[in-house]
Amino acid sequence: MLSEKKWFGRQISEPPSHGAGRPALVPVGTEWCCQRCHQRVRSTDRLANGTSYCRHCLQMGRLTTRDKLYTIPEPNRFSHRAAATLSWLGTLSPQQQQAAQAVLQHLQRRQNHLLWAVTGAGKTEITFPALAWALAKGWRIAWCSPRVDVCLELAPRLRQAFATTSQVLLYGGQPLPYIYCQLTVCTTHQLLRFQEAFDWIIVDEVDAFPLRSSPMLQMAIQHAQKATGSHLLLTATPGPELQRLVRRRALAVTYVPLRYHCVLLPQIHVQIVWHWRQRLENGRLPAKLVRHVQRYLADGQPFLLFVPHVADLRPIQLALARVGILEAVTVHAGDPKRQEKVLAMRGQRIPFLITTTILERGVTFANVAVIIFGGDDGVFSTAALVQIAGRVGRSAQFPTGEVTCYCHSQTRAVLAAQRMIAQLNQQGKRLGGRIR
Amino acid sequence: MTRCVWCGQPIRQTVTLSGLWRFGQQRTETVCERCLTRFQRVTADHCPRCGRQQTDRRCCYDCQRWGANSLTNHAVYQYDAAFKAYMQQYKFQGDYALREVLQQELVRALHQEDYDLLVPIPIDAATWQTRGFNQVTGWLTDQPYFQALTVRASHKDQPQSAKTRAERLMTQQPFRLVENAPALLANQRVLLLDDVYTTGRTLRHAAAEIILGGAKAVTSLTLAR
Repeated sequence: MLSEKKWFGRQISEPPSHGAGRPALVPVGTEWCCQRCHQRVRSTDRLANGTSYCRHCLQMGRLTTRDKLYTIPEPNRFSHRAAATLSWLGTLSPQQQQAAQAVLQHLQRRQNHLLWAVTGAGKTEITFPALAWALAKGWRIAWCSPRVDVCLELAPRLRQAFATTSQVLLYGGQPLPYIYCQLTVCTTHQLLRFQEAFDWIIVDEVDAFPLRSSPMLQMAIQHAQKATGSHLLLTATPGPELQRLVRRRALAVTYVPLRYHCVLLPQIHVQIVWHWRQRLENGRLPAKLVRHVQRYLADGQPFLLFVPHVADLRPIQLALARVGILEAVTVHAGDPKRQEKVLAMRGQRIPFLITTTILERGVTFANVAVIIFGGDDGVFSTAALVQIAGRVGRSAQFPTGEVTCYCHSQTRAVLAAQRMIAQLNQQGKRLGGRIR
Repeated sequence: MTRCVWCGQPIRQTVTLSGLWRFGQQRTETVCERCLTRFQRVTADHCPRCGRQQTDRRCCYDCQRWGANSLTNHAVYQYDAAFKAYMQQYKFQGDYALREVLQQELVRALHQEDYDLLVPIPIDAATWQTRGFNQVTGWLTDQPYFQALTVRASHKDQPQSAKTRAERLMTQQPFRLVENAPALLANQRVLLLDDVYTTGRTLRHAAAEIILGGAKAVTSLTLAR
């Protein structure tokens, strides 16, 4: 009986001691539909022995027409139901308190809900009262995010805040095996392995890549949630689809336009540098930017330098070295030393990081400034720019800071980002937000 | 719009004048430029026996250790991190669609070989059941080949790739000729085809069996070394 916990609310290709599985791929017309990721299998995705296989969720182990998936319906049977208590000792600001109340109310009514809170509003803490309530009721809960960095950073915080609750962290390539727990922290990909398991799913950074553009992952949330369950979406920058749902009143929303320390968001300052791309190709950086970097280094101000592409990291590092700035450290998604570099930056052992948009969200550095180089590039969407600006002034000791965007010309995305920040600040001012 | 089978990025089809000049259907690319250039080719500086990438053209230490039991092998790519990642997804995760990544390259490599009969290395029945395809014949498009070898039943305790070099070299002959093989092999120059040359044990076992079948000469081609 104990060993069967592995199948509670999950669907995996490994058979339990008893119980029949169902086919992993079911025919839909002339095609097949994968029962794990609910995507259509193309007729060309066929093995030499004639069986079809799903390429969409191949990374989680191949499923063919010969495979079966096994599940045991979620019984909510957790090993120690010691009264789940909130061991978090912080206090919520009045705005956070209000939002937390709204989250709890929607949860009690089992409604889907969007929490639109500015970067650095303390979204995680806002959910704590509702989370404590749901855990005390014995619900099974998933906290998921499309970004593994967010999960890795969040897991220890949740472990501290709910010390008596059994918790597990799941992500691709994790070293530890799966265990059945009341609170699951995982990447959205891991939800594919669950089937009607969770009473409540919290989706952090719901507008982030790859969830934003992946129907497979959006579907995974629906299937991992019980028929009676609901979900809470957290973001600072909801995409157009979510905003449309909100406008049509198809999705309840709560706004938190003010950060927990009640200081307004830093606005993006645009600096025009003509033909920065051509100049970079010649190994040179705009003099304005160089002076800016030198000023930060002289003042001992830590900062992040965002660049559009991985391919731009090296030329910029070289161009900085050419003007005598040798401390540059670069980081990108495929960097094996990413974690160490971020930790070094947080410990102020390095003065600045040159990064791609990988650090646009989910990371907090106390007292950091931000320079965006090439803000007119297509990779800097409005959401990305607002998120990047949101890296600044997150701690109560250093609630302000500079965000500078160097671009060839103003683009629609940059203007929209400035407008979004201005609108949020206007709402924040009404609630008593200060400039510093 | 087609997407690259490996990285999933959209592929921009280039329409050329020479392409339009040829009548009939345009060949649609299934692999993007960037994925095709992920692998490192073996340059002219390689071991003349096993095809390993080196800084000079002398016989490598591994081949010296084989001594008289020599076999001439040619390799297309170096067995580096990129090729390992490819084999991981294609062979071990079983993503059969990735065969298309190397099909064109294999056509080119086979053109440069001099042989009469192509013999791919077989897989055993159990692997065929679980994997669902032979990773070597997957790369062949419409080149004629002859499956002269089969794997002896009940030999496999663990896959070659999970063994150490010493363990691999201890491996007993895993192959057997099929019924009508001697008739077809007689007096032919045979080219063995395999995915990766690691120690050379598997290919030498296969070559020995082919020679017993009456072949005139045996060489081998692998996608990586």
